[in-house]
Amino acid sequence: MTPEPDPELREALLAAVPSLRAFAISLSGQVDRADDLVQDTLLRALANLHRFEPGTNLNAWLFTILRNLFHSEYRKRRREVEDPDGSYAGRLKVQPDQGSHLDFEDFRSALAKLPSDQREALLLVGASGFSYEEAAHICGCAVGTIKSRVNRARFRLASLLNVEDIEDLGPDSMTRAALQG
Amino acid sequence: MTVDKGNKLARTTLEASVNDKLATDPKLDSGSQKRIGDQLRAMYDELMQQPVPDRFRDLLEQLDKKNGAKEGSQ
Repeated sequence: MTPEPDPELREALLAAVPSLRAFAISLSGQVDRADDLVQDTLLRALANLHRFEPGTNLNAWLFTILRNLFHSEYRKRRREVEDPDGSYAGRLKVQPDQGSHLDFEDFRSALAKLPSDQREALLLVGASGFSYEEAAHICGCAVGTIKSRVNRARFRLASLLNVEDIEDLGPDSMTRAALQG
Repeated sequence: MTVDKGNKLARTTLEASVNDKLATDPKLDSGSQKRIGDQLRAMYDELMQQPVPDRFRDLLEQLDKKNGAKEGSQ
């Protein structure tokens, strides 16, 4: 079917771009790659407009497309890069003894260290404003799985950023984990 | 939560991605949870405030034009 982007739809797609970009940048950690992802998402959405059910959440639909594109690309890249997490090691300087000082740089580094399933769950629920149900739909998994991932993502971020006093959660292993990269 | 149990849960978490076992999920106290949430939204808001790159506006306008052309108006 030929895409027919009427002005209203075009506005809706344009309006979705900032949140798609924020999600893509946070997910991939790279602005250029994120913008390519957003562009591919828009093109795919336009090519599949007939599959969108009017009246349902356009943003959720777009996020689903972006997320799927991200993962299929990630799988491709993973075959090329033996240890994807290793690439962060050089850049990552999360020193717990820097105290409670937090800035976005530290936060982004910590976010990048999360397994991608946890990162995306946290971004969808904690930042993009989706409900657990919507996030589960976007990721194609159970609501309980999303809750679990969000919970573990927060926990891991807190330990990486040394946000709390984690004395009953094994500070030694946490410190090692934070420094290990 | 006992100290021993806490340690066990922390290790479980550090083993990372593994599978989704609800029973082994650690819990953050609400203060830490809030701080993480605030940081996340602050970072995200900053990204949301960035101007939309021209390429997206151009892309959608191009498609509009293409559509208009098909209708023979150009």
